[in-house]
Amino acid sequence: MAPVTEFKLARAGDVALVTIDNGEDWTKPTFFGEQALESLDRLLAELEGSDYSAALITGKPFFFAAGADITEFPDITSERAVEGARAGHELFGRLRGLPFPTVAAINGACLGGGVELALHCTARTVSSAVRHFAFPEVFLGLFPAWGGTQLLPRLVGPETAIKVIVSNPLRQNRMLTGPQVAELGIADRLLEPAEFVDESLAFARELAAHPLERPAPDWSEAETLFRRARTSVDDTVHGAAPAPYTALDLIEGAQTWTVEEGYSRERDAIGDLLPGPQAQASIYAFGLVEQRAKKHPARPTAAPAKVGKIGVVGAGLMARQIATLFLRRLELPIVIRDVKQEIVDEALADIRAEIDRQVAKGRYDDGKGRFLASLVSGTSDYDGFADCDFVLEAVFEELEIKKQVFAELEQVVGDECVLATNTSALSITDMAADLRRPERVAGMHFFNPVALMPLLEVVRAAETKDIALATVWHVGEKLRKRPILVNDAPGFVVNRVLTRMTRVIMDAVEHGTPVEEVDEAVMSLGMPMAPSVLLQMVGPRVANHVLERMHDAFPERFPLSPALAALADGSDPLLVEHAPRSREQIVDEVLEAVADEIHLLLEERVVSEAADVDTGLLLGAGWPFFLGGITKHLDQTGVSERLFGHTFAEMPQRVPAS
Amino acid sequence: MQRQEVVFVDGVRTAFGRAGPQGLFWKTRADDMAVKVVRELLRRNPQIPPERIGDVIYAATAQVGDQGLTLGRDVALLAGLPQTVPGFAIDRMCAGALTAVTAGAGEIAYGSADIVLAGGVEHMGHHPMGEDVDFNPRFVAERLVDPSAVTMGATAENLHDRFPLITKDDADAFAVRSQQRAAAAWSNGVMRNTVVPMSVFTEGGWQVAERDEFLRPDTTLEAVASLRTPFRAGGRVTAGNSAGLTDGATACFLTAEETAAELGLEPKMRLFGFAFAGVEPELMGIGPIPATRRVLEQTGLTLDDVGLFELNEPFAVQVLTWCDGFGIDPEDSRLNPYGGAIACGHPLAATGVRLMSQLAYGFGERPDVRYGLTALCVGMGMGAALLWENLGAGH
Repeated sequence: MAPVTEFKLARAGDVALVTIDNGEDWTKPTFFGEQALESLDRLLAELEGSDYSAALITGKPFFFAAGADITEFPDITSERAVEGARAGHELFGRLRGLPFPTVAAINGACLGGGVELALHCTARTVSSAVRHFAFPEVFLGLFPAWGGTQLLPRLVGPETAIKVIVSNPLRQNRMLTGPQVAELGIADRLLEPAEFVDESLAFARELAAHPLERPAPDWSEAETLFRRARTSVDDTVHGAAPAPYTALDLIEGAQTWTVEEGYSRERDAIGDLLPGPQAQASIYAFGLVEQRAKKHPARPTAAPAKVGKIGVVGAGLMARQIATLFLRRLELPIVIRDVKQEIVDEALADIRAEIDRQVAKGRYDDGKGRFLASLVSGTSDYDGFADCDFVLEAVFEELEIKKQVFAELEQVVGDECVLATNTSALSITDMAADLRRPERVAGMHFFNPVALMPLLEVVRAAETKDIALATVWHVGEKLRKRPILVNDAPGFVVNRVLTRMTRVIMDAVEHGTPVEEVDEAVMSLGMPMAPSVLLQMVGPRVANHVLERMHDAFPERFPLSPALAALADGSDPLLVEHAPRSREQIVDEVLEAVADEIHLLLEERVVSEAADVDTGLLLGAGWPFFLGGITKHLDQTGVSERLFGHTFAEMPQRVPAS
Repeated sequence: MQRQEVVFVDGVRTAFGRAGPQGLFWKTRADDMAVKVVRELLRRNPQIPPERIGDVIYAATAQVGDQGLTLGRDVALLAGLPQTVPGFAIDRMCAGALTAVTAGAGEIAYGSADIVLAGGVEHMGHHPMGEDVDFNPRFVAERLVDPSAVTMGATAENLHDRFPLITKDDADAFAVRSQQRAAAAWSNGVMRNTVVPMSVFTEGGWQVAERDEFLRPDTTLEAVASLRTPFRAGGRVTAGNSAGLTDGATACFLTAEETAAELGLEPKMRLFGFAFAGVEPELMGIGPIPATRRVLEQTGLTLDDVGLFELNEPFAVQVLTWCDGFGIDPEDSRLNPYGGAIACGHPLAATGVRLMSQLAYGFGERPDVRYGLTALCVGMGMGAALLWENLGAGH
């Protein structure tokens, strides 16, 4: 239960000084739940009959307001969604109608409804220290429905409104800083943080004496702007999520509607959107990624081993990315080993070049860059591995090679050294089987590109002890990854689901469905990338290799693909039979196959909850929020009910945790 | 290197708040309070290029927590001064800011700096007196000091014992007069000139701290006389005739006289001399008497040459002993014309600069006065006295 937000009023001379406060420090966001709106109602009643000459509204230290309380959103009815919007319109409208100027002093994080509150004020000041100012609604399958779509374009014009309301949320929920907020004209004054409230009060007094004059927004290019914006949204969500389109329509309408008309359109639209599947799935996904993944229920409780030096075996592309990440986040000595010295030298040069790039970007100064570069060393033997506390292998995906690496390592490293593997499909239990101390081996599966993908699969093999698991998890967190806990099984979670989907896709190709058709079918679901493009990125050889491993484990569900094998060899995909699939067929088959595989993952207890699979697909495969990973979508569309007689959401009760 | 004269250019303070959870500053950091007065000073004196500030000297009695991290440097960085400006922290308990000024004056006089920012802060709500102090057991074992020396209220009771002619009635009357004078000062210019309003976050949201919380303009002799005496049964020291536990910050600009001229500043007063003195710790309140004597001797002045006295008022009896020592009538209009700490509060290490700011203002009002005195008593038995020359006096 979130702490209750109040609007607290104090008198500062003839200025009403209002604080949005929930009585907690800045780590507990200030939300506008129902009680907050009641408090705002009382505040407005007091201000409406007062003799103040201006009002200043600001937040508790370091926080302005985070907007609506999204914990009130799951399973909301259309009527309640409309009522919620109406309550905001009415209250914020009264704020806008006060007989004296009002100033929002944006002193910290300001999101969603917080931005809308500020927009209903006469003017705004912003602290140069603000780093989180955004309308994240479209990112959540919604749009700003407390007047945001109407007031922002009126203030700064359609181009900036589109950018802030639509484009930024679709670019990984990009946020604005205080200086940007001022630069875009959303705030009227950029002030230093040290005396922010004092200087904002001075501005409010100035405003009471001299009203501001702002240029009228420029709608002359509106037609082009909105056409371009709709094309750009198509490229991102492929029509599968309604929110950005609705937001664009509402912003465009602001040119001709009155504010009251605009409010009314917002209410109609939010009544459709908020209870709808995409918004509900997005809210679910947001909860997984922003809350659950950061305080994961399966986070090991054992104390991790102290890691002071790291070894990386293998110096290929993946190993280099991982070593660079270790270096940047942990700032510990790292030794890299490969069989060929020239590969080692190349890897070292690569890593140092990456550090140089970071220096050039200004992320590090020269001295820090030199320090980081000095931490990494290489060997074609195991020199320098003896005192490693943590060794990750990322050599070629061949069980015998990996077993050999671990066996050699065991001769060199100390008894307490944790051994981790970045294998994507091999059995870690088998890999550790012949070791003296198999209990120190755990999986640490990164996703490509390593620096960007937030997911880490932390894999527990049959013999893995808690301390090894806790160490891998802890190191993963320090790398700023969000781990999920997986029991050792072929392909773990993400690759298993993706490969099952790939198999369906290849089947369609093998039966003569044009690649473009297949691509479009999958894109129509809202997947971030066409399968053919993804396949080129991953590389057909790697994809085929993973399929072969999955085939070894589950031959019936993962038959080998002649088309993929051909692509892996550099040939054209083979046609098995001419029986092309329709787009609908492909979508159905993909969803059913994915549902089936996830169901098996849960029955086999590879992960303990469907939430983990969704987290994996969201953070490791970039699947969209509006599908809720995927199980939310499978539940919403009745696929899970049809296949298993129950939804994924009901699964935790059906499969008791171990 | 040239020896230089030292002038006081400008001084400001925050409003002084009641220490503790009920006080206005309870949720405000001490260093942020110091930052506020420093920035106000910079704003009020735009002719002073920040990069020419030679040192930032900040006093605090408790040098931990939000008053730790060698406060002068900490405050300089937080206030946005250039990184090239150094700073340090200093402690002489109640004479902290006063000592920050004399230390800064030393730097200027010696030619080591042309401009010094000096001040003090004490958040007694966050740092109750004596907290975390580990008294050396030798003090007691070897009877180096009387145990009452560490409780300031007890030292005030000791003063009554030692000066039996100073009665509780005298102390109460002095206290009421201090409140009345402060009330008058708040309705004329001095407080508006020297107190900067500050937005502070509180339980009730943001509020503006713009008035001292200890002011009791309507208090009466009867009301003050009826208060209990917490330091001993049948004692004479009460909450009414002493300064409350206070949160507050002060800051001032000192420059070399030539620098002031070069920058077109209008300094209010020149430091004429200063002295510190030690006394019996359990009678720390008499400290200003020998300190005042010493500074008069050093400068060759007599008390008759001095036309304004800004004395701290931790306890009414403490000021009365000084009056007794110099034959000054406690009602004399030269003494604390704007009231004192009994009315506005005494945030230990911050107080010295409040006295100077008020003396500077007083000099402006009294061009006929040539010399003024700021003086304080200090815990563990000390006194401090600074003599100033009025630059507006036309001498």
